[in-house]
Amino acid sequence: MIADMREALEAVLGPISEPVLLPGGASKEAWAVDGGGQRLLVRRAGGGVIHRHTLSLRDEFEVLRAAHEAGVKVPQPVLYIEELSGREAFVMERIAGETIGRRIVQRPELAAARDALPRQLAEQLARIHAIPLERVPFLREAGFERMVDELDEVGEPHPAIELGLWWLREHRPAQRAPVVCHGDFRIGNVAVDEHGLVGVLDWEFAHLDDPARDLAFGLVRAWRFGRDDLRLGGVGDVEPYLERYNELTGFDVQPEELDYWELAGNVAWAVGCLTQAQRHLTGQDRSVELAILGRLGAEVEYEICHLLERQGVS
Amino acid sequence: MSERPTPEELAEAIEEFLAGEILPTLDDHRARFRMLVALNALGIVRRELAKLPPEGDAEPRELAARIRAGDVPRGTLARVKTDVEARLRIASPHYLERYEAE
Repeated sequence: MIADMREALEAVLGPISEPVLLPGGASKEAWAVDGGGQRLLVRRAGGGVIHRHTLSLRDEFEVLRAAHEAGVKVPQPVLYIEELSGREAFVMERIAGETIGRRIVQRPELAAARDALPRQLAEQLARIHAIPLERVPFLREAGFERMVDELDEVGEPHPAIELGLWWLREHRPAQRAPVVCHGDFRIGNVAVDEHGLVGVLDWEFAHLDDPARDLAFGLVRAWRFGRDDLRLGGVGDVEPYLERYNELTGFDVQPEELDYWELAGNVAWAVGCLTQAQRHLTGQDRSVELAILGRLGAEVEYEICHLLERQGVS
Repeated sequence: MSERPTPEELAEAIEEFLAGEILPTLDDHRARFRMLVALNALGIVRRELAKLPPEGDAEPRELAARIRAGDVPRGTLARVKTDVEARLRIASPHYLERYEAE
């Protein structure tokens, strides 16, 4: 299989090093290769079912190109390959930098990076939200009704998630015009070196949405990797992040909107845990890591209760 | 409340992982033998669990439906939170400590 991959890649890239399969998801493969003096990463469709609500690799590559053109720090897109040993794939720069959330929030040598990250994250998100909609016409709006649909498809009763959805329905802030959203913008999906952010990764959830929702997703407690006191992804405070974002975009997002969308982010992730577990339970991708998410979702449900309490619900 | 994965389904997931991904990597004879014994033991646990009557979920199902319909009287959150805490004491006992400082 590696020999096939290498041959197919060399047909488009010229001579390359032996492809190395990187650990990671079953739905998409990532291969590291070096060629033409560049460190490259090949993202290729996996053997399993393609998930609904994520972009095809063709569209993901196009979003990556649009982000690159807009000056977002992303791996340089190299090329899309319609058929690489039988599946679609794309090639991009393989950037150096730490991506493991727990290390980003803990490692002493990344302390200066953590200081810089709140403003850097805001700057990248401001650029993403300025990508012209007509540049990526295939992106769809994804309102939070989608969360309800996904929960119903799972079919299990989860009163805490229902309470979250109920509160979100009752307190919906005025909606902003949709912009291009990353959809999973948080620590864990950015690469970081000792100076801070070097790349925004994982664009498969890109869609059109209220920018405040994208802005608040990185506040969700699950993405603080144990540094719960630092509300912005375990790396810093929200204030400099929000201030810099508003300065650059003029959107004037209010702290209460972040509270609202932080709760929405928790509801989305609580539902996400259940749908990930379903991938195992239905036999789509058998994996003990996916299976246990069905139970760890209780952590996110507890956070939903905690946030609702803070909103005065009893 | 019958949570997914059920204990039986979790045992099955662990068996698949150990037999499919770990066992083939073990070269040491002693380690291989003990892994096979451990898999047998885990199979016993799984089959014992399979004999238990399934837990009903009528109560949370009814509560979820009421909340969906907008029927949320005072005290609903407290009740829901108590249930989530009980589930967490099984699924992730140390998680609650993260809230103690707040």
